[in-house]
Amino acid sequence: MSNNATSHKPRRKKKSTSGISRTETNADIVSIDEQTHAAKPEFPLVAFLWPARGTTSQWLLIPLILIIVGLFRWTVGLWGYSGCGKPPMHGDFEAQRHWMEITNHLPMSLWYFHDLEYWGLDYPPLTAYHSWLLGKLGSFIEASWFALDSSHGLETQLLKVYMRATVIVSEYLVYVPATIIFLRRYGRAQGVGATSQSVALVAFLMQPATILVDHGHFQYNTVMLGFTIAALSSIYAGRLMWSCIFFVAALGYKQMALYYSPIIFAYLLGSCVTPRLRIGRFLGIAMITIISLVALYIPLMIGSLSNANQGVLLTNIAAPPLLDILPFKIHPKSAYYIPLLQVTQSLHRIFPFARGLFEDKVANFWCALNTVLKIRQHIEPVVPLPRLSLYLTFMGILGPMLVIGAVPRPNLLPYALASSAWAFYLFSFQVHEKSVLLPLLPMTLLLGSRDGLTKETRAWVGWANMVGTWTLYPLLKRDGLRTPYFVITLLWAYLLGLPPTSGAIYYDHANQNEPGKERPPDDLYTGTKILHGEYYMAMMIWHGLEAFISPPEGKPDLWVVVNVCLGAFAFGICYLWCTWKLVLGTNLLDGYFGHRRKIEEKGANSGGWKNEKKTQ
Amino acid sequence: MTDIYPTLAQCAVVATALKLLLFPAYKSTDFEVHRNWLAVTHSLPVKQWYYEATSEWTLDYPPFFAYFEWLLSWPAALADPAMVKIENLGYDSWATVYFQRGSVIVTEILLVFALHQYLKSSPLSHRHASHATVLSILLSPGFLIIDHIHFQYNGFLYGILILSIVLARKQSTMLYSGILFALLLCFKHIYLYLAPAYFAYLLRAFCLDTKSIFRPRYRNTMRLGASIIGVTCVAFGPFFYWKQLGQLKSRLFPFSRGLCHAYWAPNIWAIYSFVDRVLIGVAPRIGLAVNDDALHSVTRGLVGDTHFAVLPEITKEYCFGLTLAFQLITLFKLWFQPDWETFVGAITLCGYASFLFGWHVHEKAILLLLIPFSMLALKDRRHLGAFRPLAVASYLSLFPLLYTAAEFPIKTAYCICWLILFLYVFDRLAPAAVRPRVFLLDRFSFLYITISIPLIVYCSLLHGLLFGDSYEFLPLMFTSTYCALGVVGSWLGFMVVYFTPK
Repeated sequence: MSNNATSHKPRRKKKSTSGISRTETNADIVSIDEQTHAAKPEFPLVAFLWPARGTTSQWLLIPLILIIVGLFRWTVGLWGYSGCGKPPMHGDFEAQRHWMEITNHLPMSLWYFHDLEYWGLDYPPLTAYHSWLLGKLGSFIEASWFALDSSHGLETQLLKVYMRATVIVSEYLVYVPATIIFLRRYGRAQGVGATSQSVALVAFLMQPATILVDHGHFQYNTVMLGFTIAALSSIYAGRLMWSCIFFVAALGYKQMALYYSPIIFAYLLGSCVTPRLRIGRFLGIAMITIISLVALYIPLMIGSLSNANQGVLLTNIAAPPLLDILPFKIHPKSAYYIPLLQVTQSLHRIFPFARGLFEDKVANFWCALNTVLKIRQHIEPVVPLPRLSLYLTFMGILGPMLVIGAVPRPNLLPYALASSAWAFYLFSFQVHEKSVLLPLLPMTLLLGSRDGLTKETRAWVGWANMVGTWTLYPLLKRDGLRTPYFVITLLWAYLLGLPPTSGAIYYDHANQNEPGKERPPDDLYTGTKILHGEYYMAMMIWHGLEAFISPPEGKPDLWVVVNVCLGAFAFGICYLWCTWKLVLGTNLLDGYFGHRRKIEEKGANSGGWKNEKKTQ
Repeated sequence: MTDIYPTLAQCAVVATALKLLLFPAYKSTDFEVHRNWLAVTHSLPVKQWYYEATSEWTLDYPPFFAYFEWLLSWPAALADPAMVKIENLGYDSWATVYFQRGSVIVTEILLVFALHQYLKSSPLSHRHASHATVLSILLSPGFLIIDHIHFQYNGFLYGILILSIVLARKQSTMLYSGILFALLLCFKHIYLYLAPAYFAYLLRAFCLDTKSIFRPRYRNTMRLGASIIGVTCVAFGPFFYWKQLGQLKSRLFPFSRGLCHAYWAPNIWAIYSFVDRVLIGVAPRIGLAVNDDALHSVTRGLVGDTHFAVLPEITKEYCFGLTLAFQLITLFKLWFQPDWETFVGAITLCGYASFLFGWHVHEKAILLLLIPFSMLALKDRRHLGAFRPLAVASYLSLFPLLYTAAEFPIKTAYCICWLILFLYVFDRLAPAAVRPRVFLLDRFSFLYITISIPLIVYCSLLHGLLFGDSYEFLPLMFTSTYCALGVVGSWLGFMVVYFTPK
């Protein structure tokens, strides 16, 4: 531990720098060279944190890490963004800028009623407040950036710098501190060494998909993701109420956090029921959730009510359909009318059920299925698609929900969250390709766990991220982010020792796979090797095809369709892997495996490897 | 022997990733300068290279650099044929940016190779220190700012310089060191400033007997002389044949420029100008004459041709006299103690003298002393004490090169990161000095480094808030004066360290 103030040991003398050995805490990041018998870092990222092991203060290390990952974010931001130079609609950049514009110039009661066609506000209120604040600050610098109507499609260099800066600052205020605290708690709870924790931190912060979407394409996903991590972190600290507040904040920032909600709900409920019933805790959680949900809408309510008093009228707009289906009718003059109107209208905007099953080409189940059999022709007449999608999603999340509800252990949360988010991504309605960030987040957090840097977890997390980023490529290419895509993705692969930069995870010269030879404990299953290897090959070939060969006549989207289908299959596998690891982690199956192990041990003549770390 | 991590190659990979991402960043007129040179060398016969003047950015580097551009122009023509057309002034298509920026990165491999050789040649006991030195040079914000954002080709040129310094370690390779340096001079003549140290060292350690200066080693002298003349002939021979040397001279040494560059490089003249500025206010009270003509031009502080209002004018002769005088002083020690470390010290001090007293010095020239000094910084704590303010001053002095908003976070974050990391690492690795430290250099450097923080804040943020666009010379003047103090301070400190016997 670097913190000398709290440790009672006398200050150690400077270690001789070569005297590193492979110990239990660093076994996954240090390997022994066959010839020289010297310890060496297992993958390049470890090498970079190699000099910092031991006595280097975290007060030095963390700022350096944050500066360096910040530099990569900012330099990605120098490139194009969504909708750059594409009038009349532009893209997500313009959407965010437009929200800053309308929240700053329109009365609050009109925020959710303003022209939907030109990037109407369709995110929950916290995004609106955030936009208002950023617009306010930006207007101090340059009022014309957010001038009402006249600023549509503005693309000046300084505006871009300002907008990019707001993404970074928001991220460094929410996502980064939450991640640092979470990884520390998560690691300490499982006895992860300090260097491994730093490795996990850098690997997590350099995750390519998040950087490319937020700082390249332009969005504020990290705020929502950061609140989710903060919620997780609070669960680790045993502060369940805080976790509710943070999670409501995540939901209130971006409705996509719903992908996580079944698990958070099941976990919190489970922790009130097992090992014994705790009514007080349950009531507390319920109360705090309701209070924070109400608090989320309070500014909007107050603003709308005062607008109404000032005479801002909402006469010429259609009432949201949600208000119409309420079982009771409210007179427009009644005191509840305006709050209810605002809530229903914002919900109407946030959940647009009127749109299609999927937009564009997304690597999920529906889009992949659509290539084999046209959904609209064959399935829609039989079952209404929204309902089918709902059923499938529910089936997908039911498993992880039940497991985490029955065994509410915080260590299992990342698996459960990833599993649920994959189910949503694959089966739910109206999925964007960018939503792949949601399942990737908890999966990447696994790097901070006890087995996080083993070959197995690194291979799976790495593979999921590489495939995930790859499915974003068509989107990124449209934004002029081809070079950053390759640079950031390959850099991450390089740092973590993944293909195509290194095959070390999959092929160990010292332990070749020979018939009759026992599999070393940290080696991957052959099936995994084949699956991952083929995917890496396919992705490389795909990039070659996409770059040099134009698709055949009549099938202009062929490459994208291939990308989507392969991606969807891989994500299905990721869903199964996360769910399987979740089930294994509960130790519910130990009885079965223990039984089988005993049989195997009896059969074997002499000592097989004894592995503390459960089954692979 | 165990390797030291992260290795040079690993750092190079990650640094390259960052540099690739910098492609769309701000680029100065030097980008167009080099594009124009590609076009000139590609489309014209060699005879006309130094006469072509369609663009205002005429070819003003020595012939080898022109040959280098000629070589580059062939793949350039493949990448985008419009890039190598002389009349396409200011052409910067994406292909051009990718090609030119990419060529900087690719040629930088030579720097990595040179650093690798440096590492291999360093004694085992210094392996850790050398490793830190090598990484500090590879990751230097100087190269990032000047080469990869502002746009120049310093990376591979400094690679040649470092290679030449490495080869000077051993008698057996000293000849190649001389050849490489001659080659380097024919690439970019700014390295002439370092030539006195090379001359003295090679003469003393290679051409004369190590025991006695009165016994010349004729064979060595012949070999060295012949090779250097050979290199020079290859470079300048054709132009000599065409009788163009006069034209080359006027292109390579444009003496019509002023004492201080547009932005004052942090040298003695920056302090001199600053004092002059202050005296304008004070002079009437103490009865000094103020030159009214100069008043206007100095106030702007951004002009090329500086006139002083109170202090005497500086002529080119003063500059050269001072530069040469201070260079000669350092050569004395080298002459009597011709070992490798003294040699590197002498190179550094030659760089210092030319930077501090030279005529029309660019802020970019700071690398001329910073890079050689890096190789000595870890010798002991006294060296490190002198190195610290120089490191801070040199990188801070490069800040005004990039004035666009998007690059501000990059330059500041990168420099701060480098300074925190390497000053910390150096501090842990530098051994205690054999002799006690002479004066309060440490206190000075600590105070100095601390002041840099409010200075950056003022120059980049507060000034704009307080004065808007007026007085825009103030931040520049503060920066250059501050940096000049650091450079002069570290120079004095290093002089003391250099001249005190071991």
